[in-house]
Amino acid sequence: MVVTVIECDIAIVGAGLAGMRSAVAVAEKNRKVSVAVIAKTYPIRCHSVCAEGGSAAVLRKDDNFDLHAWDTVKGSDFLADQNAVEYFVRECPKEILRLENWGCPWSRNPDGTIAQRAFGGHSVNRTVFAADRTGFHEVHTLYERLLKYDNVEFFSEYFLTNIAIEDGRVQGIATIRLKTGELEFFKAKAVILATGGAGRLYGFTTYSHQVTGDGMAIAYRCGVPLKDMEFMQFHPTGLVPSGILMTEACRGEGGYLRNKDGERFMKKYAPEKMELAPRDVVARAMWREIMEGRAFEGEHGPYLALDLTHLGEEKIEERLPMIREAAIKFADVDPVEEPIPVKPVQHYTMGGIHTNELTETPVKGLFAVGECACVSIHGANRLGSNSTVECLVFGKVAGEMALKYVENAKETRISSEFVKEEEKRLFDRFGKKGEENPHAIKKELNETMDNYLWIFRDENGLKTALRKILDLKERFAKVAISDAVRKFNVALLSTLEVGYLLDLAEIVAMGALLRTESRGAHYRLDYPARNDEKWLVHSLAYYTSEGPRFEYAPVRITKWKPVERKY
Amino acid sequence: MGVLSWFKYRSPFGMAFMFQRITGLILLFYLCLHLAYLTSLQSRDLYESLTALTVSKQFFIFDSLLILCGVFHGLNGLRIVVHELGFAHEKRKAVLVISVALTILGWILGSYILYTALGD
Amino acid sequence: MKILIRRFDEKSYWQSFEVPVKRGMTVLDALFYIRENIDPTFAFRASCRMGICGSCAVKINGKPRLACETQISKFKEIKVEPLDNFRVIRDLVTEFEGFFVKHKKVKPYLIAEADYENPVEQLQTPQELKRYYIFSLCIKCGACVSVCPASATLEGYLGPAALVAAYRFNADSRDKGKEERLKIASESIGVWRCHSAMECSEVCPKQIEPAKAVQLLRRASLR
Repeated sequence: MVVTVIECDIAIVGAGLAGMRSAVAVAEKNRKVSVAVIAKTYPIRCHSVCAEGGSAAVLRKDDNFDLHAWDTVKGSDFLADQNAVEYFVRECPKEILRLENWGCPWSRNPDGTIAQRAFGGHSVNRTVFAADRTGFHEVHTLYERLLKYDNVEFFSEYFLTNIAIEDGRVQGIATIRLKTGELEFFKAKAVILATGGAGRLYGFTTYSHQVTGDGMAIAYRCGVPLKDMEFMQFHPTGLVPSGILMTEACRGEGGYLRNKDGERFMKKYAPEKMELAPRDVVARAMWREIMEGRAFEGEHGPYLALDLTHLGEEKIEERLPMIREAAIKFADVDPVEEPIPVKPVQHYTMGGIHTNELTETPVKGLFAVGECACVSIHGANRLGSNSTVECLVFGKVAGEMALKYVENAKETRISSEFVKEEEKRLFDRFGKKGEENPHAIKKELNETMDNYLWIFRDENGLKTALRKILDLKERFAKVAISDAVRKFNVALLSTLEVGYLLDLAEIVAMGALLRTESRGAHYRLDYPARNDEKWLVHSLAYYTSEGPRFEYAPVRITKWKPVERKY
Repeated sequence: MGVLSWFKYRSPFGMAFMFQRITGLILLFYLCLHLAYLTSLQSRDLYESLTALTVSKQFFIFDSLLILCGVFHGLNGLRIVVHELGFAHEKRKAVLVISVALTILGWILGSYILYTALGD
Repeated sequence: MKILIRRFDEKSYWQSFEVPVKRGMTVLDALFYIRENIDPTFAFRASCRMGICGSCAVKINGKPRLACETQISKFKEIKVEPLDNFRVIRDLVTEFEGFFVKHKKVKPYLIAEADYENPVEQLQTPQELKRYYIFSLCIKCGACVSVCPASATLEGYLGPAALVAAYRFNADSRDKGKEERLKIASESIGVWRCHSAMECSEVCPKQIEPAKAVQLLRRASLR
């Protein structure tokens, strides 16, 4: 059997904002180190292109770092590690300017300076934006910049299946090259995981189809703990019925949320900030309105109204053109004339692979950055426009840390046992008839998550969810892949992805069940108060064959003691 | 799929592209015929017999079609020139409609003039 | 509704699927339905489902469109095929490596001095931004290349997408690499191979008008 092993110094898995920024960081400092950017789609088709609203940074005199940090820490319901947040806010402005220097088409003020807009949870208008396609433009800018460096090579449509670790040190990764369907291994001295979140756990979600938590699940299976997985962000305005994101910028530019009585109901829940309260506050408010019967009823279920009609066509065309296009195309509604039908939608994974503020995981040479990692900057709830810039700031950190690591690292190796095991694990169930349909399992998983791990949770619901997930895992073991043709075998891919999602679902459900308090995006109807004495800690889930084992680690507090979170 | 792709148009513009090439080939073919025709000027008899054949009411249909090819190729060519100078891309549909309308007008006019000239 | 798909595994063949139709359903929804309920081996590319990633460009009833943006209710019958001018790998998945290689050839990045350690804000007025902004919206879906007759007949032709990228940077007020890019774009496999079929402008899902970008590059290269 011919085994393909590609050698490189640094392997970056995931070509979104975080992955590509790490690659740039390495190449800017060193043109001799070989960097492989490996992703399951072509880089410009990553999920980061869906980001719309903007990237926050302190750029002007009316703003300061402590204020951005405070907004972030308060937004996180005090679960964020404050030393990391303080570093983060100080690097954001430079990242914005670097992207600008590399060609990013930021929207501008009439005098030519970079424009900033209001966003939920931020005290000052500090969200830098490129129309309402910020993620799209940032991704293309980074991809185009990477074309300049000769030592960076793209390996597109390579699907991650495993990480090789020996003696607590990373050795490389195993992937399936989609075009041929064969296993190809990367021997690397350092590996940076930047594989994104796990949104496709849910049925009603803003995520692209391909975001199935691959890196998180594989790292978990390799012994790296996952942190704070019970915190899933629900974005207030998802288009009904597709789940396509209606950016927070709609509210930032002055949009209103109304219930069926035409009332701006946010007045009851966050009288000061109204529609621009942090996402968890608004999502809960909206869901309460839905639960208490004040929502519109439509053929796709209940919904609320996002009203942009008072903004005028000119402003919408200038600042929210893609939103208008999407509302017309996918919901048959023109925001200039009518309010948009919206509902809270699953949107971000605050939790992820446990790293310190230098993006290091407990495994030597393995780094994690972006949404798949948890430093933690966002704690229990993320502020809008903080994630895209987090990918940039920590992307740079990850790249530079990986570079420093490889300068002194020993040679690594892909052992023949690893190769044999991988070949067996993946292709043993090939060409056989299975008893279960993985897509049906995924659909049931989505329903379970939508029902019991949504905005409001309680003990019975969580226990039911956990039972159901374990039942699905048993059924999943009976899946086989009838398609024996290896080339672009989507049946194999879908099956592996469902496997990753099931592992992650168990962790989310158990973490939510164990955390008997409400904090940020995790709200327990049976424990509605925040409990700082017992729960000002991060949850860490470790893999065991009987299911995740939970440990707890304290939150790093530097400047700001937890206070009541009112908006 | 090479040159065959020229004949797989998907929009009126692709159709215009296809006809530009077809009429171009026809005009090229006609040019060769015409040059061969002119070389027949060596002998008076040969010339008169060829002229009697081709300048006649029976041959009118071919001449009319030739006028169509020529007018289309020329006017479409002008349309292309306008666009290749960077103008009117936003109004390209209107430009195409005008070009086709003028082509039809030119064809009818030219055919009419030719027909009346053949009157005898 | 019956959906006909031109599939490919070593060789090409048509297959028909019966798909239940709901109001508001897109062609992409139908493709996923087929994969999830009828044939799990059915290969196609898809990601964002909101028209921004460019993965799902396929030929629907003879015209290249984004499957995620095309409503089923628009048609009485639906035929789905992979994009033309690309080699088919499996079913609707085509080879895109060459596409990105051509994109890279035109140096599609900002060529300007930049201080990496201490970056400085460069000014750009909204008017200057408008000059190139629409050309920066290219999602690299390949629809334009699939209908371009020049791309079909000449393997090495840079193609509308790459030339749009070249123009996007030439028109950016911050860029200093215009001469370099024009040199590449006006080579024999560059802008002069375009014969204004304008089909690219007709099919671009973002209404970018690649034909216009090519002509503007020509104009610039003649100065």
